[in-house]
Amino acid sequence: MSRFIFRRVIRGVIAIITFQTLLFFLIQALPYDFTAFLVLEPTSRRLAQSDLGLNLPLWQQYLTWLGGFFRLDLGRSFLAWPTPVTTVLMGRAPRTLVLFLMAAVLAYVFGIWLGKLIAWRRGGFFEFSVTLAGVASYTSFAPFLGFLMITLFGWTLRWFPFHSMVDHNIWYRESVTIDWVLIRMVITIVIILLCFWMLSWIAGQYKYRKWRQLLKWGGGLLILGGAALWWKQLGYLHLAIDVFDHMMLPMASVILLSFGETMLLMRTTMLETIEDEYVLTARAKGLSERTIRDHHVARNAFLPVLSRLLLNLPLVLTGSLAIELVFQWQAMGELIFVAIDFQDIPLLLGILSIVGVMALIGHIILDILHVYLDPRQRFAERSIS
Amino acid sequence: MTAHISEDTHFTPWELYWQGWRARLGQVRSMWRKFRRNPLGVIGLTLIIIFALMVIAHPLLMETAWRPSLYDPYLGFDSSIPMHPSPPSFTHFFGTDGMGRDVFSQLLFGARMSFTVGLTAAIIAVTLSTILGGMAGYFGGVIDLLLMGITDVFVLLPALVIMLIIGLLVRLDWFLIALIFGVLTGLGSQAIVVKSQTLSISSKPYIEAALTAGGGHLHVLWKHIFPSLMPLALVHAVMTVVGAVLTESLLSFFSRTHDYMTWGSMIMLGQRTFRWFGLGRQWNALIPPAISIMLFCSAFYLVGRALDDIVNPRLRNR
Repeated sequence: MSRFIFRRVIRGVIAIITFQTLLFFLIQALPYDFTAFLVLEPTSRRLAQSDLGLNLPLWQQYLTWLGGFFRLDLGRSFLAWPTPVTTVLMGRAPRTLVLFLMAAVLAYVFGIWLGKLIAWRRGGFFEFSVTLAGVASYTSFAPFLGFLMITLFGWTLRWFPFHSMVDHNIWYRESVTIDWVLIRMVITIVIILLCFWMLSWIAGQYKYRKWRQLLKWGGGLLILGGAALWWKQLGYLHLAIDVFDHMMLPMASVILLSFGETMLLMRTTMLETIEDEYVLTARAKGLSERTIRDHHVARNAFLPVLSRLLLNLPLVLTGSLAIELVFQWQAMGELIFVAIDFQDIPLLLGILSIVGVMALIGHIILDILHVYLDPRQRFAERSIS
Repeated sequence: MTAHISEDTHFTPWELYWQGWRARLGQVRSMWRKFRRNPLGVIGLTLIIIFALMVIAHPLLMETAWRPSLYDPYLGFDSSIPMHPSPPSFTHFFGTDGMGRDVFSQLLFGARMSFTVGLTAAIIAVTLSTILGGMAGYFGGVIDLLLMGITDVFVLLPALVIMLIIGLLVRLDWFLIALIFGVLTGLGSQAIVVKSQTLSISSKPYIEAALTAGGGHLHVLWKHIFPSLMPLALVHAVMTVVGAVLTESLLSFFSRTHDYMTWGSMIMLGQRTFRWFGLGRQWNALIPPAISIMLFCSAFYLVGRALDDIVNPRLRNR
């Protein structure tokens, strides 16, 4: 087992080095460098190049970058010179996380719930319509979906604000920055999610459904109210509400774009387990259909869905370029566009490397889990759809 | 006295060839019988046929009914209409866009582009993933390690960002998009699935029988492994079309491509003159291409899922 893990990690390290080499030389192959975008006379441009380290031979730049990467130093961003790339990324990370973490979790919960329902009532009009709606929203063109949201809920009905991240009429007199509030919001959301998870675990211990429901709903409301009170005490509740208000439309778009995949995967995996012997045993014991569905079939169908979530999470950073552009949500996606257009090599390589490393860690964990859970199956068998 | 061998058991090469094709035809027919029972798959197939008819219709209409100076998707202009963009009329089914070009003609032309990009990407991806995954699963050992090393890298590369970078380097046209997308998916995630499928195929007794009978590795790969992978490859091909078309449309929407006219660029141009209500109300340049992209990708996705239900042994007969 430890031999397998060791070999898998070695393979991963080789993969990430190859990945970075490929990206580095791809970006370096572009005809200009960053100093071409500054209006400079030749002497000053040469000076700027030597400042940024662009006049060094290519192999030296490459080795400097690679050596820095393994010391967790991603270099300095050209655009925000001399800010280190890690600082730039840490500044942008909460903006991406607060939107896409919540959207991913909600889409995941929603998708699993719907997938459970359509797998259980197979072959009816309900499954037909829900599947059709899921596929349609999953394959819809992201900018157009955002556009529809904006025109319908933003412009016509005027329910939500539809551009930028905050309302500057509220924020201009505050002493805190947006990122300062956002990073605390991310932490709060994570704490709330952990509390929900613990609550559902505790509620699962109770035997009677009525008690379970009461505990779940009452406890959930209590947690949300407590969080709101805590923010009220800090004096930033109105700012958080403003951010949430601006977040509604992009979050709804991301959920609509991504819940279909989880739903259909959940349905497929549940259909694979639905005719196993233990389901028959559970029926023979006289358990209710609901208990069989939630506690026997769904729990065993959970692992492929969870693994898909783990693989897709890093792609959130790059996969949402269109949504960020349409809603003017100035997060990672905007940074990627700017970095590509101005050839900010350290910034672009930094973003892509972090995404790559996160994806790689997800893959390695999944491979190890699969071998650990089922030694016969050395290689992950990942179902489609 | 020697045993008489019946003439019936002796086949000429041509008969053997014919029988092989008949067996394959029987497989296809049984797949179609299962596919027909899935209403969603049939809806998807119907939509694909409608889009294919649209592709065929465009050059025919340009040859016969439509004057190129009026209806060309890129250069056409209707000077009889005083103001562009104009609402739908009998001469222009979906009206004209802000530059006076017929939207319906653009839509038909865009269908051709989407089919070309999607199918090219699918063929490239499936060819690469079948060869790579099949060889890695069949040979194992050092070859497996080397090929999976390639897969490890390609699974990490985000297609859209790579295309944005390459778009600054060279002219990004439909073939390049299809090529990059096909290579990235074919050598990436698809190869892993194909390899795990090959592992279960290559442990079957008929592979061993073929090897014992004196078949070489290339023969076994070509005659036994790759044909068994074909149903899975079909599912992968259909799923690749969805991703390729969505990526191409996004790139066109960001106006990073050099294509003649696609649905993505129609949306990019249409959103500038878009109004839901009020003065200058104009939906016709934006809604048709957006709905088309959705229906096109949904159609391929539904067909892919229906095929997956047939091909995936764990889902059969349920």
